[in-house]
Amino acid sequence: MGRVGGTHTSGGVPGIGLAKGLAVTLRTMTRRSVTGQYPDTSPELPPRSRGVIALLEENCTVCMLCARECPDWCIYIDSHKEAVPAPEGGRPRSRNVLDRFAIDFALCMYCSICIEVCPFDALFWSPEFEYAEYDILDLTHERDRLREWMWTVPPPPAHDSRAERPKELSAAEGAEGRPGRGPRG
Amino acid sequence: MGVINLGEPRVGTISRVAPKPIKFVLNWGRRYSLWVFNFGLACCAIEFIATSMSRHDFIRLGVIPFAPGPRQADLMVVSGTVTDKMAPAVKRLYEQMPEPKYVISFGACSNCGGPYWDSYCVTKGVDQLVPVDVYVPGCPPRPEALLHGILRLQEKIAGESLGERYGPASPVPVAQPQAESRPPSPAVLRRPLQRPPQPTSADRPEDPPEASPENPPENPPREPPQPPESSSGQRPDAAPRPGPLPPPNSVRGPADPSEPNLFLP
Amino acid sequence: MGTERTVAVGIGAEELATADMTLNIGPQHPSTHGVLRLRLTLDGERISRAEPIIGYMHRGAEKLFEVRDYRQIIVLANRHDWLSAFSSELGVVVAVERMLGMEIPERAVWARTLLAELNRVLNHLMFLGSYPLEIGAITPVFYAFRERETLQRVMEEASGGRMHYMFNRVGGLKEDLPAGWLDRARAAVREVRSRMSDIEWIIRGNEIFRARTRGVGVLSPEAVLQYGVSGPVARAAGVDFDLRRDEPYLAYGELFGPGRPGRVVRRTEGDCYARFECLLDQVYVSLDLADACLDRLADLPPGPINVRLPKVLKAPEGHTYAWTENPLGINGYFLVSRGEKTPYRMKLRSASYNNIQVLSELLPGNLVADMIAILGSMFFVVGDIDK
Repeated sequence: MGRVGGTHTSGGVPGIGLAKGLAVTLRTMTRRSVTGQYPDTSPELPPRSRGVIALLEENCTVCMLCARECPDWCIYIDSHKEAVPAPEGGRPRSRNVLDRFAIDFALCMYCSICIEVCPFDALFWSPEFEYAEYDILDLTHERDRLREWMWTVPPPPAHDSRAERPKELSAAEGAEGRPGRGPRG
Repeated sequence: MGVINLGEPRVGTISRVAPKPIKFVLNWGRRYSLWVFNFGLACCAIEFIATSMSRHDFIRLGVIPFAPGPRQADLMVVSGTVTDKMAPAVKRLYEQMPEPKYVISFGACSNCGGPYWDSYCVTKGVDQLVPVDVYVPGCPPRPEALLHGILRLQEKIAGESLGERYGPASPVPVAQPQAESRPPSPAVLRRPLQRPPQPTSADRPEDPPEASPENPPENPPREPPQPPESSSGQRPDAAPRPGPLPPPNSVRGPADPSEPNLFLP
Repeated sequence: MGTERTVAVGIGAEELATADMTLNIGPQHPSTHGVLRLRLTLDGERISRAEPIIGYMHRGAEKLFEVRDYRQIIVLANRHDWLSAFSSELGVVVAVERMLGMEIPERAVWARTLLAELNRVLNHLMFLGSYPLEIGAITPVFYAFRERETLQRVMEEASGGRMHYMFNRVGGLKEDLPAGWLDRARAAVREVRSRMSDIEWIIRGNEIFRARTRGVGVLSPEAVLQYGVSGPVARAAGVDFDLRRDEPYLAYGELFGPGRPGRVVRRTEGDCYARFECLLDQVYVSLDLADACLDRLADLPPGPINVRLPKVLKAPEGHTYAWTENPLGINGYFLVSRGEKTPYRMKLRSASYNNIQVLSELLPGNLVADMIAILGSMFFVVGDIDK
């Protein structure tokens, strides 16, 4: 339990406060150092850590939700429509094709709203952080680079045992067994 | 106010015309004794302090955070939102630093305004005021990201020549550290490879991508950070890429005297 | 910069005409940890007038709130006071939930309380480290940051951010806590508590530290009330006011009271040392509260941690004021909505803004050398002053 302060009264031995401070220093000297040797060893980052945004292009349906919800407007999406030949007896449909997907990480504020709103799980957080650049233009990651971050995305951690079962899980189980896991929509 | 103009602290001629081995030694010395001046403005300043503390400890890398002021510093880390009211002070303190001087822009706010991109009183990037050498992304970037930025700066210092950095444009191409030649950091290599949830196509590379920027052939070439006229010989295909932002201020060294200096009182 | 004139030094100086000197401290000055600027008028070594000049960090957050929806506001709200990000987001969501009349799941209430208390510890540790640093003791800040890293790791594991958590959502939290996180959080709290003695031993009884801070910068309860000073600065002056106890939000109603871990730390001296001690003791209280929250979270029945929200969240027409006890004092949001998805106006009442105003009353009469001790003990964050 916490304790109420004021135990170190001034009426003690002169210099006792300094001696106590030195005692802490001496005690710390005997302990292991806490310094992480970053460039030589990689830090252990939790999976939720917001380092860089990865794009799973195959899942993107160019719905533009992420770009619209971004508080910084740092996502650039270009697309064009492509006519899909009609199946037997159906109407011809059009499909959105992604031309450009870029995130300006100089501007991004790492709020994870885009990842939250993405309805088809095309965006993920990766804990990587090593992408400082000499030129600010290089901080705009185009789709290829965003796709490559995908390889560093860790699996999400399991939820607490008292948590509600996520809706996505039951939905995914319902979808199990269905063939074809390509891009939907 | 009576201002005594001491003139710009400049690089001496000897370090410009020095032969290559001497330059190598000079660069080596500069690289590992970066006296840093923290221009702590906002949240990122706390992460800067965290980097200087025992857990991350950038003194390991030769970055010394005890510069008494800008006049004794080699490196300025602008960490935080630069507001229009603060901008003259940033410019002024940068000009007080002796050459060679380096700037790290730490965090989204100082990169280009970040969360305050539409604010009426925030400068959209410190590179509008001073030339920036390394941009560290993040809001705020984690301390390791600053360490990574420092490592990149050290690579840049190791490969540079002050004559080209500060002198008139010379025909000799500047040895720019290239993203391709940079060895991948051990941190990336040691991290286990994570498979993406849906490895769909087979044409994806099998090896883990390094954190360094690949240069995919279809990508437009990146603009070198240095003035293009001095380094264009090295990269014949260098052309400014149409980007969402104007290219950063690439003025090096003292500002052009013909240009009115708006930031000094 | 800005020297007016100084004359009359030496024997018989008092008979000569003396002039005051104006001294500018800041905006970039190590003792202001940020970009606060002070214009001091000095009579010799003594400060005769002090005027804080603010606005160097003004980022127009209130105006930006008006063009962002309620989820986007949270992102900005945690950035004005970067050391108490969680508590600042909390005020926004509490205000919106109040407007909507939304009921929050119990697990979310306790998890929020827990994270708010951990955030308070993080904030206080920063000042417990930086304040001795400003008056010459370099060592404590290393210990403080060691503890901060321990807690930040736990916070990052849950929320993904080390400083700006962005973990609150209207109706609860963004997502549930990771499995096993409660145990790791408990271990972190235990570790920090066991090592708080280092900071305490090294600085609390230190004679030099006491000499620099005892009886310096005494703030009277009257000045506290007149200037609207709040938080640990006010409580060190003897003003017994803590929103967690006096107007409980979240789960604080169950945590404060006789026989419960919540206590309001108070001092009556009102000097720099009392302010520092207040902060130090609040860390212990917050760690106890965090433990109580962890116990409670482990006992709660399974349930959701947030409320399913409509696609477009609109607060109904009206206005409300939500205030929370932030680590640095009272943080309030006055939210006016016209039924749209962005607020019509969102006024921010930040703690440091009021706390810093009292400097013009507190500094005059003190020596310049004490200015740093006083300034550091006011525990302000410049972004919180300037918004």
